[in-house]
Amino acid sequence: MPSLAELQLDFAGALTGRAGAGVAFPEDRFAIYRRTGIANYRNAMSATYSVVEQLVGGPFFRAAVDAYTLAHPSVSGDLNVYGGRFGDFLAMYALATRLPYLPDVARLEWAIDESSRAADVSRVPEAVLAALSLVPAERLPAMRLDLDPSCRMLASAWPVLQIWLFHQSDRAEGRAVDLQAGGETILLRRDATGVSMEAIARGDHAWLAALAAGETLGDAIDAAMASDSTFDLGAALRAHIATGTLVAVHAA
Amino acid sequence: MAGLPIAAGIGLRSPHVGEILARRPPIPWLEVHSENYFVDGGPALASLVRVRNDYPVSLHGVGMSLGSVDPLDPSHLAKLRRLIDRIQPAAVSEHLCWSSAGGRHFNDLLPLPYTDEALAHVCARVDAVQEAIGRSLMVENISAYVAFDDDTMTEAEFVAAVARTTGCQLLLDVNNVFVNASNHGFDADAFIGAMPPENVAEIHLAGFDASGPCLIDTHGTPVAAEVWALFARTIDRLGPRPTLIEWDTDIPALAVLEREASTAQAILAAHNAESR
Repeated sequence: MPSLAELQLDFAGALTGRAGAGVAFPEDRFAIYRRTGIANYRNAMSATYSVVEQLVGGPFFRAAVDAYTLAHPSVSGDLNVYGGRFGDFLAMYALATRLPYLPDVARLEWAIDESSRAADVSRVPEAVLAALSLVPAERLPAMRLDLDPSCRMLASAWPVLQIWLFHQSDRAEGRAVDLQAGGETILLRRDATGVSMEAIARGDHAWLAALAAGETLGDAIDAAMASDSTFDLGAALRAHIATGTLVAVHAA
Repeated sequence: MAGLPIAAGIGLRSPHVGEILARRPPIPWLEVHSENYFVDGGPALASLVRVRNDYPVSLHGVGMSLGSVDPLDPSHLAKLRRLIDRIQPAAVSEHLCWSSAGGRHFNDLLPLPYTDEALAHVCARVDAVQEAIGRSLMVENISAYVAFDDDTMTEAEFVAAVARTTGCQLLLDVNNVFVNASNHGFDADAFIGAMPPENVAEIHLAGFDASGPCLIDTHGTPVAAEVWALFARTIDRLGPRPTLIEWDTDIPALAVLEREASTAQAILAAHNAESR
């Protein structure tokens, strides 16, 4: 009699169509498991990537998801965290190249998904400003600032937020997206009602990305200036503390 | 810790959360899929916390891979434990199945062979999970479309032995018993009769699809007439138990689920009236 481990590996091999995997079940019944497996991933990915699905249509989307599932099998019992590399996958998936912005739309939808389930944090802009005012000037460059855990950023060569908004059911009528409008840098953040998104300047993006990576304020300013010489530190601090993007100050 | 009320509850799915919070219908208890709340934070979890303020909630897992030979996933167990701490559920349950092999997850409820080896393995895993989450786990019989030639016991013997060996409670899915009785040719009432009554702590009811090569547990239709009849006989045999209506695909209006729960409640109440 085969061991439990052998039975499960054989069953798994037959589910994934591995050559030589031997299970002696009636094919019409075993096929129910194959179909359920495929449908589970299609449904999960459809929930996360609804705009990608609208952009490419159902048949293309399902084929892309099926190919993704083969390339990136699930490794978690929590289907809600499946599919995080779909944007990178679409960039390689040859058939997708007719829509060059498709990978970034997928990356945006994954960022929305991640933001929506990130940890809650209390936001008290007044307290952050007060803490900041207590840091002596000479120690400012060495200090660090925390971003709200729900913040995500995406820099795209395409107007990806406009594309996403265009495909929401509650969008205003009219106004097609101008694909030649240029790129966007988007900051996502979740509040009590859900994920909000805004386009931010390139310098702000470089600065926030450096802070999010744990770099000091001094290094983050260098990164921002390298990206955009008009970067205004005072304005960036005020704006991103007021909106709750920056939630804590750590003096060096 | 309060257990589940002996009444008919509803499986709460995301399309109905807003209505539950707005209308607060008189549903005796609700059950959610644990993994949908394995989040660090955010509006979905906040809504569940609000639901929990008004209703007993049961956490029903679909992704533990309890019967897999692969090691239990420590992060999965940690997230379940964190959710238990947050929600203080009336019950915590999982399926008698496996979902992963060789590190790959199938995110489906796959059938176990009913052998001594599988029994010993599942019992050890139930013990390990109960240890990890710090409370008792309820385990549920699944629907299966294939059976293993190497089975050395019946499914009923297997399920009852898990309960007797580990002392765990059973979540008896009457629809799954009906589906498997049809698919594998056994007597559904004999299955129910083989369950240790004192271990059966919850009952599930759902709909199946009969259009394929065998009955398929879709949770996408009303409870079938034959399953209502089997449920009534189950209650006659075991006495009333906390009972849940599950509906996971083609989810209808909440009112439809409430009507299904009312039907279940009437069967529970009829038994109480008779036994007085």
